[in-house]
Amino acid sequence: MIEKLAATSPAGVLLDLAGVMILLLAFACLGSKLFNRYVAYYGAQSVVLAFAAGVAAWTFHSAQLWVLAGFTLAVKGIGIPLATRRLLLRRLALGRDAAISTGLSTSLIAGGGLTAFAYLVTKPQLLPHGVVAAAVVPLSTAVILLGALAMVVRRHTVAQLIGWLIVENGVFLGAITLVATFPFIVEAGIFLDIAAGVLIMLVFVSGLTRELAEASATELRGLRG
Amino acid sequence: MIALAVVVVVCPLAGPVAIAMRARARAAGLASVAGAVVALAAAAALLVTLLHHPPLNAWAGFLYADSLSGFFLLTVAGVTVLAAIGSVAYLSAEEDAGTLGTVQIRLYFVFFGLFASLMLASLETGNLGLLFVLIEASTLASAALVGLEGKARSLEAAWKYVIISSLGVTIALAGTLFLFYAGSALHLTSDQRLTWPYLFAHAAALAPQPLRLAFLLAVVGYGTKVGLAPMHTWLPDAHAEAPSPASAMLSAALLNTGMYAIIRFLSITQARLGSTFPHLVLLTFGFASVLVGVLFMVRRGNFKRLFAYSSVEHMGIIAIALGFGGVLGLYGALLHTLNHAIAKAVLFLGSGDPAQRLRTREATGVRGLLTAVPVAGGALLLGSLAVLGSPPFGLFLSELTIVRAGFARASPALPLILLGLLAVAFIAFARTTMGMVTGPAAQDLPPDPYRGRAAHWARVVPLVVGLVALLALGLWIPAGLNSAIMHSLAAIS
Repeated sequence: MIEKLAATSPAGVLLDLAGVMILLLAFACLGSKLFNRYVAYYGAQSVVLAFAAGVAAWTFHSAQLWVLAGFTLAVKGIGIPLATRRLLLRRLALGRDAAISTGLSTSLIAGGGLTAFAYLVTKPQLLPHGVVAAAVVPLSTAVILLGALAMVVRRHTVAQLIGWLIVENGVFLGAITLVATFPFIVEAGIFLDIAAGVLIMLVFVSGLTRELAEASATELRGLRG
Repeated sequence: MIALAVVVVVCPLAGPVAIAMRARARAAGLASVAGAVVALAAAAALLVTLLHHPPLNAWAGFLYADSLSGFFLLTVAGVTVLAAIGSVAYLSAEEDAGTLGTVQIRLYFVFFGLFASLMLASLETGNLGLLFVLIEASTLASAALVGLEGKARSLEAAWKYVIISSLGVTIALAGTLFLFYAGSALHLTSDQRLTWPYLFAHAAALAPQPLRLAFLLAVVGYGTKVGLAPMHTWLPDAHAEAPSPASAMLSAALLNTGMYAIIRFLSITQARLGSTFPHLVLLTFGFASVLVGVLFMVRRGNFKRLFAYSSVEHMGIIAIALGFGGVLGLYGALLHTLNHAIAKAVLFLGSGDPAQRLRTREATGVRGLLTAVPVAGGALLLGSLAVLGSPPFGLFLSELTIVRAGFARASPALPLILLGLLAVAFIAFARTTMGMVTGPAAQDLPPDPYRGRAAHWARVVPLVVGLVALLALGLWIPAGLNSAIMHSLAAIS
C-alpha cells in the first residue's frame, strides 16, 4: 500500500512539498514577532496539513482520510485560529507582541539546530529508500521539535498553547503520510482529544486572565520548589 | 469476561450520570462510591478469571486484558474506592465551609468519575494508539480537578499540568508512530500492527532502529505522566493545589497508569533489542527521579508538595526496579506499585483534614496533630512510616525485593546508592511529618470541619482500610496476589 507513495509519484511529490511547507511555516511561527501573525501562520500550517491529508486520501481512496482532512481544515485550519483571535487576542488586546524570552535570531538558530538534529536521529538509512516517508519522517520530527521550542521560548500561555498545537501538527503529518493506514478510530480519538484539550486550555487561560490581569507565563511564579 | 471488563470501566461513571440526572451533590457522591466499589469487585473478579484463562482479546484488540492489566486495574480501582469515599467527606466539608460552590462540587464528581473511568479504560486496551487517546483524555479530566478551586494558584498548577503533560503524551504518540513503523515489514493488518499482543508476539521481526527510538520517546512521553525527572515539574504543583482526594487519585492511580504504558513498551523492546539498552534508559531516569525527589524533600514547606516529591522518588524506585529487571526486579516493581498506591492514598486523604481545618498547607503551620486530631495525626504518622519503607509495612518488603534484585542483577554500587538516597529521604520526610504530628496541640484549634456522622465515617474509613491493607501486605503476601504478580510477569516476558 505504501508503495503508492513512492517519492517519484505525483502524490509523493505533493506530500513532500506539503511537508516542507509545514516545516517552513513552523519556522515562520517561531520567528514571528506579532501575535496575530503567529496565529495566522499556525492556521496556514494546518491548511497545508489538511491538503496533505487530502492527497493521502485521494491516493488511497480512503473515505476516512477524507473525513480527517475535512476535520483538520475545519477545526485546525479555521476554527482554532478564529477562536483564538476572537476570544483571546482581541479580548486580551494581545495584538502586538508575542513576547519571547530569547532573542528572535537566537531562537531561529536553535530551530535550525533542532532541524539538523531531527535529520541526524531519523537517519534516512533507518527507512526504506524511495518511499516518501523517508523525507517525511525527519520533517515531521523537526516540526515536533520546533513546536516544543516555541512552547519553551514563548512567554504567553496562549502562545504556548499554539506551540503544543504545532507539535500535534508534526505528529499528525507523520501519522497521515508515514502511516496512511493508521487505524481510523485512533486518529479520530486523537482529534477529539486535541479539541477537548484546546477547550479546557482556553478555560484555564481565561480564568488566569481574570485572576492575574495578564496570563503571561512570566507571572506564573506562585508555585516553586 | 467482556461483561466484567465493561463493568469495570462503566461503573465509575455512576457519579457523572447521577449529576446528569440532576441529583444533589451528596447523592452523586454516594453514587460515585457505589460505582467505585462495584468496579473494584469487578476488577477483582476479572483478575481471578484472567489467572485461569487466556488473555481477553476482543473488538480487534481494542479490548485486551491480561494479568498485567488485571493487576493494575485492581490497584487503580482500589485507589478509586478510597478516594471516592474520601471525596464525600472532603467535599461536604468544603461545601459547609463555603470554599467550593454547588456548581464546583457537581463538576468535581463529574470529572472524578470521568477520570477514574478513563484510567481504567486505558488499562484495558491492547491498541497502543487508543492507549494514548485514553491517557491524554484522562489528563484533561484530571486537569479540570486540579483547577477546580479557580484561584490563581490552582489555575496556574492546572495550566502547567495540562500543557506539560499534553506535550509529554504527544511525544509518546510520536513513539507509538515509530513503533507502528517498526512493524511495517510484518504481515499484519494495520489494526494489529498497533496492538500489543501481536507486536509482542512478532517482536523479533520488528525493525530495530525505529524500535529503539520508539522506546526512548515512549519513556520520555509517558514518563512525563509518571513524573520521572526531569519531566516531573508539573507534579508537585498539581498535587499540592488539587483537592486532597484528587491528589490521592493523581499520585496513586494516574502515575501508575503511565508506568503501565512504559511497561508495555519495555516488554516489546526487551524482546527485540535485549535488555541492555532499555535497562540503561530506565535506570538513568529512575536514579534521576529518586535524586530529584529526595533533594526537594529536604526543603521544609508545603506538606502536600512533600508528598508529591515523595511520589517522584517512588516512581523513580519503580523505574529502577524495572531497570534492574529479572524476575525479582519486576516482582518488586509491581509489588511496590501496589504498596505505594495505597500508602500515598492514605497520606493525601489524611492530609485533607489539616488542610481544611487550619486552611494551610504549610508544614510549619501544623503542630500536635496527634493529640488534636487523633485520626488525621495517626494516619499521617503511620502513613509516613509506611511510605518511608519502615517495617512492618508493605513498602519495606517491596523495597527490600528491589534492592535484592539490584545486588543480583547489577553492580553492587547501584543498590548501595539507592539505599543511601532512601536513608536521606527517610530523614528529610520524617523531619517534616514528625513535626506536624508531635508536640502540644495549638490552643485555638478551629472546630471540626466534618459535620455529621456520614462525613466523619467517610473520613475515617479509607484511612483505616488503607493502613490495614499496608500492614497486611507487609506481613504476608496473599497467595492470590502472588500468583497475580507471577502471571503478570509471565505475560510480559
